Amino acid sequence: MAAAFMAYPELRHPFEAKPIHAEGSTSVLYQGRQITLSDTSADKASGSSLLIKPEDLKHINGFELKPEGACYADMCIPLTSKLQVTQEGTQWFDLTAFADLLEQPYVFDAESNVWSFAEIPAKRDNMMVNGLAPDFEIPDRQGNVIRMTDLKGKKALIVTWSSW
Amino acid sequence: MPVWQQVYEEINDPDFVILCVAEDTGGEAVAGPIFDAANATYIQIVDKNHIISSAFNFVNVPSAAWIDEEGRIVRIDEGTYAKVHELGDETRSITFGNDVYTPALRDWVEKGSDSEYVQTVETVTGNIRELSFEQQKADAAFRLANLFREHGLTQKAEHYWNLTQTLNPESINFFRQNLTLSEEGSAGETFMTRRGEYESQQKDYYRPLDMDS
Repeated sequence: MAAAFMAYPELRHPFEAKPIHAEGSTSVLYQGRQITLSDTSADKASGSSLLIKPEDLKHINGFELKPEGACYADMCIPLTSKLQVTQEGTQWFDLTAFADLLEQPYVFDAESNVWSFAEIPAKRDNMMVNGLAPDFEIPDRQGNVIRMTDLKGKKALIVTWSSW
Repeated sequence: MPVWQQVYEEINDPDFVILCVAEDTGGEAVAGPIFDAANATYIQIVDKNHIISSAFNFVNVPSAAWIDEEGRIVRIDEGTYAKVHELGDETRSITFGNDVYTPALRDWVEKGSDSEYVQTVETVTGNIRELSFEQQKADAAFRLANLFREHGLTQKAEHYWNLTQTLNPESINFFRQNLTLSEEGSAGETFMTRRGEYESQQKDYYRPLDMDS
């Protein structure tokens, strides 16, 4: 077997130990962003749910709370008692129940209090069914945020590669 | 990436853009110098969390999608090489890639929907990979691992990278990206063994190009 190739061996463990968030906070990962929340709760019985302040929802996944439900583009999910939870007079939104309802996968690391959410499948129906390019939002190397919608009117080749 | 720069300059159409996306947890430190060396003028993205691969259900690099002016995908998910590449020395050499993809791309940029390389909605949606719930969950595990790695929590990173691969064993991207942290690297014995398994099982390492060569 030929010698292994590793382009950047010095980068194997390039990062320094530093806190993920302030003590007592909770972080949510979604679409490559880390949203840190100082005020969250959990289901008292199971302890394995993530309850957020209703106003934090739109900062996490773009869904806005309206009278007709939690809405994103032309999709509205009716608010049930499963999604809206009141504990000692405080109103919470159950982000994990919302994910379960939408069949959105997530992974939770209890020790560090970080929840990582995959994409919401309903946001991708237009691609899977109609062959339309999915929405994404990602910074380029110059720091400009590139969105799929910015490319309208142009033909685009989107091509991936890697250094490895 | 000099080859895509060359293609971009040759096509030279103001209504055509290339988004060249580095799927690299190492970030700017590893991908940036390669873009710089190519004198890239197309849109350059360093995608530490493989967001773009997730968006299009890609499982390997290089992979690509062609998007028309209306936001429709007209080709997707092929092993995307702009030319025939040769690597190696006197004792050992490999060639990979093809000489049909770039002319096809140029044809599409010139002719738009009249290009013979534009695929129907049915073909495109048929070519988009279906990912199971577990495979989609792998994206969440992968990003959690990356967060831990960035914060120096290497054991936790390792744990979630292993979970990632358990959840989505079909992803070459996750498999090889994780190997970059090993002593042997992403193209060592483990990788060659896996690739050999693919070939012996006659599984596609890339979906073959649907173009005449």
